[in-house]
Amino acid sequence: MLTISNLKKSFSSGAGDVTAVKDVSFEARSGEMVAIIGPSGSGKSTLLSLLGLLDAPDSGSLSLDGKELASLSESERTHFRAKQVGFVFQQFNLIPNLTARENVMLSLEFANYPKAQRAARAEEMLTMVGLTGDKANRRPAKLSGGEQQRVAIARAFANQPPLILADEPTGSLDRATGQRIVALLRATATTQDATVLVVTHDESVAKQADRRLEIEDGVLREIA
Amino acid sequence: MNAITRGVKNTFRNSIRTVGIVAILTVAIALSISMLVARDAVNKKIESVRASTGNTISVSPAGFFGFSGGGTPLTTTQISDISSIRHVTSVTSTLTQRLTSSDTSLTAPTPSGSLGGQFSGGFGGSGGFPGGSSGTFTPPVRVVGTTTPGQALVGGANGGGTETLVSGSSFSGTSTADVAIVGKTLASTNSLKVGSTFTAWNTKITVIGIYNAQSTFANSDVLMPLATVQKLSGNANDVDSATVYVDSVDNVSAVQAKIKAQLGSAADVTNAQQQAEQQLAPLNSVKTISTYTLLGTVVGAGIILLLSMLMIVRERRREIGVLKALGAKSSSVMRQFIAEATTFTLLGSFFGFLIGIVLANPITSTLVTNASSSSSSGFSRDGGFPGGGFPGGSLPGGGSSGGFHFGARGFGHAITSVQTSIGFSTLLVALLIALLVAAVGSSVAVANIARVRPAEVLRSE
Repeated sequence: MLTISNLKKSFSSGAGDVTAVKDVSFEARSGEMVAIIGPSGSGKSTLLSLLGLLDAPDSGSLSLDGKELASLSESERTHFRAKQVGFVFQQFNLIPNLTARENVMLSLEFANYPKAQRAARAEEMLTMVGLTGDKANRRPAKLSGGEQQRVAIARAFANQPPLILADEPTGSLDRATGQRIVALLRATATTQDATVLVVTHDESVAKQADRRLEIEDGVLREIA
Repeated sequence: MNAITRGVKNTFRNSIRTVGIVAILTVAIALSISMLVARDAVNKKIESVRASTGNTISVSPAGFFGFSGGGTPLTTTQISDISSIRHVTSVTSTLTQRLTSSDTSLTAPTPSGSLGGQFSGGFGGSGGFPGGSSGTFTPPVRVVGTTTPGQALVGGANGGGTETLVSGSSFSGTSTADVAIVGKTLASTNSLKVGSTFTAWNTKITVIGIYNAQSTFANSDVLMPLATVQKLSGNANDVDSATVYVDSVDNVSAVQAKIKAQLGSAADVTNAQQQAEQQLAPLNSVKTISTYTLLGTVVGAGIILLLSMLMIVRERRREIGVLKALGAKSSSVMRQFIAEATTFTLLGSFFGFLIGIVLANPITSTLVTNASSSSSSGFSRDGGFPGGGFPGGSLPGGGSSGGFHFGARGFGHAITSVQTSIGFSTLLVALLIALLVAAVGSSVAVANIARVRPAEVLRSE
């Protein structure tokens, strides 16, 4: 269970302080897929940074399965990300000189997954997202956009984190591929009982989520 | 695949860049290795020369300067007084004379030749060697009266080495017998063997040994007991060169001062160390050049790698952010980039080392030769006694060619023969240099990695 309460984050800019996230509060259950939608500059990415512990909030509370995370130190946040959070990015962000399998194994390495089981686990995850045969040995440049995003999903879920954060996961894909990727995200979340938060501006993606939240000017509200 | 492996793998991510960086590092490290070897070789030579000349003082009559000087010979009494100075362990003396065809039955082995002919007009004056202004010049035979047979020609008049007996025996330093050991070239020319005799100053001299002193010129001499030469040449008690041995390098200056005080203006007293330092100036110059070049190339290699790694880190900023977002510790990412910088350095070191070893000897030789030739122009004149040539005129005061300047000539030849070698210490220093380059090259890049915030990966989406 992810619980957010009165989360706030401001940035300094030339025009003074800008509050990107204003007193955001919500909850998301395990196995639930929640879509966060909003226009550019509404605070989506900042909120995702806070939820993924890439950034620290100015105030508020953030807990996962009862553990308070907002006050963690930098090294504790790193440890938490490695073990408890999976990321799926719009641009896939695979390491270009590593194969699909090695990319998946990367998150297992950071999570201190048993060394001897990493290759098998990566293979299992790639098969789960539909990448079989020699594609596991291909570098990202030799895979299509959809296939790269599947590798990214396999990487995010590989060490079975309870929280998956997806930032515009279909933004670089065609509509049909995007639909399949979202379906895959949802199915994997259900299989692994993970909470999935998807930031998107694509209404069709948001409609596949269990719940939809809208953020505008840093203020979050639930929409029907 | 851990951070180190990823770092090594990343080295080959962009082949063109890899070749470029490694090529530049190779050139820099090859130059570093060459300079390191050159510096090491020159340093060893300097130490060796200093060690061999460090505790001696040369004493010669004031104004005595080979053919260019004159002066009044020192006396055995003066030399004897030097022996009693504190810290003096021994004193060796020589008196060098020349036997013209009217003084000896010997024939000089070396013909006058065109070089000798240049001097056949000789110096002005009377009582000179045969030939005189007529230009028909007969080279004399040089006789060295010495108290130290076996060391009389070392770095001496003929630039020879230690006389090594090839047959027969030597004489004692205090001998007064009419005996001689002759150079093998002179022996061959005159068909001399051990037991043969020849005449000098109308006296029958018996050959008791034949030596080899490593040069044709030195092997054309006759070595006889000092007392015998003094007696036969009519120069009783005369000495034209003495070498004073001091118990410690630390006492050389004090003893030199005492000798100067004792002999006053009658003698030129020079410290072998000072002479050595003069002759070692070119080598010291090479040492300085190689040291600065070594530092320059190491710093240059470090800067090249540093800029390359900065460029790489800048280019992979997003990737660093992704790794951190996925849970990689900063230290892990840093290790990856340090491994990459180290791999670049080791590749450059490997090729640079091979090329450096090949280039070390020619570079060292060129540096030493150039430095020596540029600093020895006034010196080669004194190294005279060219070929078989010899001034047809007189030598003032019957002056000889012995002493410092010929010695220096031999010295000069010796210092240019610097041998390079790659020892364990050189390898160790080269490895340390490589690690230093890698450390410098990756330091700023690593510091930049620490500053990359994982949140940037989302903001730049």
